[in-house]
Amino acid sequence: MGWEIWVIVTLSRTLAYGTPLLLATLGEIYAERSGVLNLGIEGMMIMGAYAAFSTAYTTGSPWLGIMVAALVGGAFSLIHAFASITLKANQVVSGLSLTMLGLGLSGVLGRGWEGKPLPVSIPEITVPGLSKIPFLGPVLFEGQNLIVYFSFLLVVVMWYILYRTRIGIAVRAVGENPATADSLGINVNKVRYLCTIVGGVLAGIAGGYLSVAYRPAWTEGMTGGMGWIVIALTIFAFWNPAIGMLGAYLFAALYHLSFRLQPWVSPELLKAMPYAFAILVLIAVSRGTLQKKMGAPAALTLPYSRGEE
Amino acid sequence: MKTRFVLIGVVLLGLIFGLSMLTAAKEYVPGDLLKAGFIYVGPIGDLGWSYAHDEARRICEDAFPWLETVYVESVPEGEEGLFIDKLILDEGCDVVFTTSFGFMDGTLDAAQRHPDKILAHCSGFKRNANMMTYMADFYQIYYLNGLIAGALTKSHKVAYVGAFPIPEVKRHMGAFAIGVQEVDPATGLNVRWIYEWFSPTAAKEATEALIADGCDVFAFTEDSPTVVQVAAESDLPSFGHYSPMYDFGPDHVVSGQIAHWEAIYLDFLAKVYAGAYTAHNLADVNYWWLLKEGAVEMGAKPGMLINPVYEDELKAVIVNDPILGTISVYDLVMKRLEQMSDASMVVDPFQGPIYDRKLNLRVPEGLRMSEFELTTMEWAVKGIVGPWPGEQ
Repeated sequence: MGWEIWVIVTLSRTLAYGTPLLLATLGEIYAERSGVLNLGIEGMMIMGAYAAFSTAYTTGSPWLGIMVAALVGGAFSLIHAFASITLKANQVVSGLSLTMLGLGLSGVLGRGWEGKPLPVSIPEITVPGLSKIPFLGPVLFEGQNLIVYFSFLLVVVMWYILYRTRIGIAVRAVGENPATADSLGINVNKVRYLCTIVGGVLAGIAGGYLSVAYRPAWTEGMTGGMGWIVIALTIFAFWNPAIGMLGAYLFAALYHLSFRLQPWVSPELLKAMPYAFAILVLIAVSRGTLQKKMGAPAALTLPYSRGEE
Repeated sequence: MKTRFVLIGVVLLGLIFGLSMLTAAKEYVPGDLLKAGFIYVGPIGDLGWSYAHDEARRICEDAFPWLETVYVESVPEGEEGLFIDKLILDEGCDVVFTTSFGFMDGTLDAAQRHPDKILAHCSGFKRNANMMTYMADFYQIYYLNGLIAGALTKSHKVAYVGAFPIPEVKRHMGAFAIGVQEVDPATGLNVRWIYEWFSPTAAKEATEALIADGCDVFAFTEDSPTVVQVAAESDLPSFGHYSPMYDFGPDHVVSGQIAHWEAIYLDFLAKVYAGAYTAHNLADVNYWWLLKEGAVEMGAKPGMLINPVYEDELKAVIVNDPILGTISVYDLVMKRLEQMSDASMVVDPFQGPIYDRKLNLRVPEGLRMSEFELTTMEWAVKGIVGPWPGEQ
């Protein structure tokens, strides 16, 4: 019985901590699939976290907070979209600036919001009946919140759109070979804009999840580098939403276990474990054969101008 | 024509530069307006360490009409020298406070660069003729919190989420464990490390891990109210750290540690203003301030020593003290608080006999650990369970 509880708690924590990672990774997958690398995830997440908290605190509705976080994340990503798609600026520089801008701006706006407990946060729910299913019940249907279920749905929908619909073909075509896509009548810039905004909206929701569900409070810098893990997970996922889910949960499980296993394993080693995992994966992915087979979108980071090739 | 303008410009620049050097090098004259600069390692919005220092800065500015203050936040350790120079040369500060252990060497270098200015370094041990050290330490309060935790635990597992395995945190864990064991020798203190000063996610997962392991009372060192929030969600009691965290768990924050850095800042600045402390007599000035100096306070929030929700429960737990006799834990905590707040400080958590967790006698009967021993403490007090990097 002992080990079962161990596994249940670990899986349950994996879902709770993995969800914001998963949401933001799904968004970044779409942005990068269309050829736009957005290193501004951290900035969009923290803006979302601030927006969600201040809205939820003022209105008393955490759900409204999540919606505003989505809007703010989307609006924030427009800065990157405008700079890198319309102005054809360097995507790395533009994305990094977005991260710095988000961290700084949220810090300034957030003055005075620290130290305030949120009266109503997003509730953890227990599904009656289903939670009694042995093993799966307590993991999936006890103490999770609706955003977790929303993220499950999102994985299926986003995977389906990317691989089974014309929209998905357009997104992938724009990311692989924008000139060809253009000659087929696809509006390259429009697709890229939309995908970047999807990335921003999901990063915003991920940030909102942190400030009104996972730990309902606002603190400057509270995303703590999660946005960078998302960049690594996107590569780990081979730009595939389903693998993205696996990656986010693997990282989350290792993160939780790094505290759980401390009585037996050196805490320094455990602390490094989730990050070492991410680095190893990046090394593996960047090796030649694998990359050719299922690697990065060919036009990633390349701005597109008609008739320049 | 052009050359002459350039020449005049250069001379003017030189004069301005010379003038600024002149003003910068001017030593503070007691009774003049005093300008103090503060350098923080974190954002002042962290609701922890840097926040507490900044609260104290504002109290000082309100208290002294002759005082002007400036601050720089989120200064990375190692870059403090640049910011000290900036505060002294550009802002004209007479006194500069650096508030992180990692600023120690940079502050000493700056003290030697600016022999006429006063520097003050928090939590370190290096001093100079114009550089003093100061610290408001929580260990006595952790011990009092430990007494309470020992009375409240039902699973006989009390938990502590620690930031880094350094002497300061180890000392606080030790004091907490001594309190826990004094009330209930059967209870262990379960420790987890997060290797961050500020990380809500790490603090949350570490607390969840401790809850899963059966712990039911929580203390911590981390700069956010996360541990308090997570414990309250699971209906478990906890102790606030650094700032009043009562609002994050009105039914679950039993007590906690609150810093009053202004006690030290007010005292020191007033003495500089009066001419008692100058840039030439600080080599032996070290503020190691505890309960009796009012630099720290026990409570769930200011004025609330123990949350009334837990009062009856604590009054119902009776222990047998060799000197005080049969006494409830509630009364014991109040008595110890009174004893340690008194100038004679007849009791201290770190007075012998104290054993480490390998059962070696570390502090013999009748002796007390010195400040040096406390600030370099690496061993684990008896009753601590879990990882202990750098154990000696």
